[in-house]
Amino acid sequence: MSQVSEPAHAPTSTGIEHKKLIMWLFLASDCMFFGTLISTHLLYRKLYPTGFTDAEGHQRFIQNLFNIELTSFSTFILLMSSFLMALAVSAMHKGQIKSFRRNVLGVIFFGLIFLGCQVFEFTHFFHQGLTIQNSVFGSTFYVLTGTHGTHVAIGILWLILLYFYSFTGKLGGHVGALDVEVAGLYWHFVDIVWIIIFTAVYLVEYLGPSGFWGTGLPLTK
Amino acid sequence: MSHDTHHAPVASKLDLAPERSDLGLIRPDRKTGWADWLTTVDHKKIGVMYGAFAMLFFLVGGVEALAIRTQLARPDNDFVTARMYNQLFTMHGTTMIFLGVMPLSAAFFNFLVPLQIGARDVAFPRLNAFSLWTFVAGAFVLNSSWLFEFGHLAGWFNNFEWHKALVYSDFAPANGWFSYAPLSGTVGQADAALHAPRFTGVGTDFWIIGIQILGIASLAASFNFICTIINMRAKGMTMMRLPVFTWMTLVTSVLIILAFPAITVALIELMFDRQFGANFFNPSAGGQPILWQHLFWIFGHPEVYILVLPAMGIVSEILPTFSGKALFGYPIIVFSGAVIGFLGFAVWSHHMFTTGLGPVPTAAFALLTMAIAVPTGVKIFNWLGTIWGGKIRFTPPMVLALGFIWMFMCGGFSGVMHSAAPADAQQQDSYFVIAHFHYVLLGGVLLGLMAGLYFWFPKIFGRMPNAGVAYLASGLVILGFNLAFGPMHYLGLAGQPRRTHTYHAGNGWETWNFVATIGAFILGIGVFLAFANLVWTAFKGKKCGSDPWGGRTLEWSLSSPVAEYNFAQSPVISARDAFFEDKHGGRRIAYENDGGEAGVHMPSQSWMPLVAGFGFLMIGLGMPMLSMGVPHMGWLVIAGLTVMFIGIWLWALEGPGGYMLKTPAGNSSPVPQAAVTH
Repeated sequence: MSQVSEPAHAPTSTGIEHKKLIMWLFLASDCMFFGTLISTHLLYRKLYPTGFTDAEGHQRFIQNLFNIELTSFSTFILLMSSFLMALAVSAMHKGQIKSFRRNVLGVIFFGLIFLGCQVFEFTHFFHQGLTIQNSVFGSTFYVLTGTHGTHVAIGILWLILLYFYSFTGKLGGHVGALDVEVAGLYWHFVDIVWIIIFTAVYLVEYLGPSGFWGTGLPLTK
Repeated sequence: MSHDTHHAPVASKLDLAPERSDLGLIRPDRKTGWADWLTTVDHKKIGVMYGAFAMLFFLVGGVEALAIRTQLARPDNDFVTARMYNQLFTMHGTTMIFLGVMPLSAAFFNFLVPLQIGARDVAFPRLNAFSLWTFVAGAFVLNSSWLFEFGHLAGWFNNFEWHKALVYSDFAPANGWFSYAPLSGTVGQADAALHAPRFTGVGTDFWIIGIQILGIASLAASFNFICTIINMRAKGMTMMRLPVFTWMTLVTSVLIILAFPAITVALIELMFDRQFGANFFNPSAGGQPILWQHLFWIFGHPEVYILVLPAMGIVSEILPTFSGKALFGYPIIVFSGAVIGFLGFAVWSHHMFTTGLGPVPTAAFALLTMAIAVPTGVKIFNWLGTIWGGKIRFTPPMVLALGFIWMFMCGGFSGVMHSAAPADAQQQDSYFVIAHFHYVLLGGVLLGLMAGLYFWFPKIFGRMPNAGVAYLASGLVILGFNLAFGPMHYLGLAGQPRRTHTYHAGNGWETWNFVATIGAFILGIGVFLAFANLVWTAFKGKKCGSDPWGGRTLEWSLSSPVAEYNFAQSPVISARDAFFEDKHGGRRIAYENDGGEAGVHMPSQSWMPLVAGFGFLMIGLGMPMLSMGVPHMGWLVIAGLTVMFIGIWLWALEGPGGYMLKTPAGNSSPVPQAAVTH
């Protein structure tokens, strides 16, 4: 539009925009971040395969704690939110601001459902006797999934701000599409991390009757 | 971004009309004086501030070191208490690594990288300012623990309820720079207030939040520099034409973004243990303290290379300049740096040989540790090859750079000794280890960084350091350093344990401890003299031309001090050592037809990075005070989070802004007069 806004379009050495590159770098770093958290959880699962002891002193197994149907539902919702995010990015690239708004509202809505499920799950587990203080499993589980939930919450906040910003008329053109695409990269990443957490934290507990880690119960084949 | 009013190109930012951002706030573009420094997004000014803070903290860490050496000068000494001694060595290590060496390296990254790649700024100028102010916030949080400690010793807090309730009262961190669990963590069951019994006082909480904030600063800076180096190279500046210092910046930044998440998670876990009664490292609830060691060293070993690679890059610039030869084996030096970075992630357990890893991991980590000596050795041979047959000029930077090679090599030799696990079992926790890593980090890194300071100060300030004082300081540093740390090899092998506040007479350690203390004071005087000379230079040094050393890389093609737009016209590169080729070879630097009357784009200044950094300061002070039990401190943390969020939000809303600045027409390169006369 003017000389002042020109550098945003200035070619880079690689042809990749700065904003996109720095988001990829952040995601590389975040991979190590979640990798460390997930490793902590898995190491302790291997070390203490029998679950945890609740406040009444009962030995509890993880399969009896988890509500895999609910978590599968929230996982599906988060996956679908990524689909809507892709549609929102595509709409921005085509300059269809109304379509962008519709889709991004959907992403926000689905993200909130996911967070709601997590809040429900945390409350439920807490009432079942799993706390951050009473076991290593409680510590690793709540901190790992809670950190992921924080990532989702930041993503939702970001998208809400983008949604309202779009009404100022300043979110548009190449720069606007790039801003949305970068937010999309973040959202997809958070989604992919959840797929890994869902597999490594939830699903493996259901591999065979005694779970991947072995609960001490006899294995039946 | 696009605004309704646009400035015509101006000759100076003072000619700008006040520009309102989208929110109606006036950008601080026209500020001068201290407000200019607080809001600047100029990578050169940010670099200077990084350097000034780093030198300040070097002196703070140095005073701590001298207190340690004074305590150890005589057997059964009582210069400081054991409690104070623990805080001194912890803060010495933490300060030197996170507040001394890393920010001084960052100062060079900031000042040099855009100049060396032919760019006008970094990719994200405001993010760069954010890194600086967040670093300052973290540094202040860590060192404010001393203020609490002194207040405690002076009895200021005695009448407060929270102070009476404290079980442990070490206010400065006291666990060593690695804060091993469970000493830094908790043991036993959490009470109703979620507090499990702890082993140490709130100093650990200062350490946790301080390092966390410094980590955020380092991560943000590293994302920025990788992006800058990969994306903002001038035309023709291919990766294999990058100056080696820029290459090492790239490798270091990659190490930071991949290594810091491990410590970030470890710190979060430790914080949850201490503040919320979690059990990550709580042995009585099944937590494994050894996990802390693994997580810490997965970060901690790459950190060693994060500290040393920039110094290696600096030396790789200085040696060719003063040998009058191109760097010997440039591709191999670059490749070795990358291999060191890669292998640096695969050797962390050599810090843990005595923890009982089992024979297979121990053997594997021993072998990998020996392997990492190979690329390091390759670099040293290449540096020797660079000097070999050259016309050597023994300028102050060259003397320090040669000192770097020699001292770093000594540290490398004792490092290879540690890599043999059986030998390491004997050396673990002894003064031999102290000797080893000070040869690497002080004899190596500090000499390298000082060489860099003396080398680039004329570029930064356009003034020459006093050579006589520089030689004297270099001599004192190298002499004092060897006197202080050479004897520690012997002391360690003779059994003196590290982290112990005193020793009894009769072990045969008295003489060499006394010698080491004398050496430490000589070293302290040397470093102080070297820094004082630099400060004097910045204000009063003799003015010099743009290329006083006969430099080889692009930054020497610019005026000293460098104009705020760096390059009046963007350079087009056709060779490695572009400026040297331009002066003496056939391949000239071409210049693009930009700048001039149309101007070059300058980013707008901003208060927001400072505001966001201030938010971190509030969080960083609030968390440990919350842990102390000071009332209402939870609100300070929440207020800090709010300030940080508002800072980042307004930062996003104000947009990058920017204005066009006129540059001199024609070739941006001034006549390199000094290079001709030398």
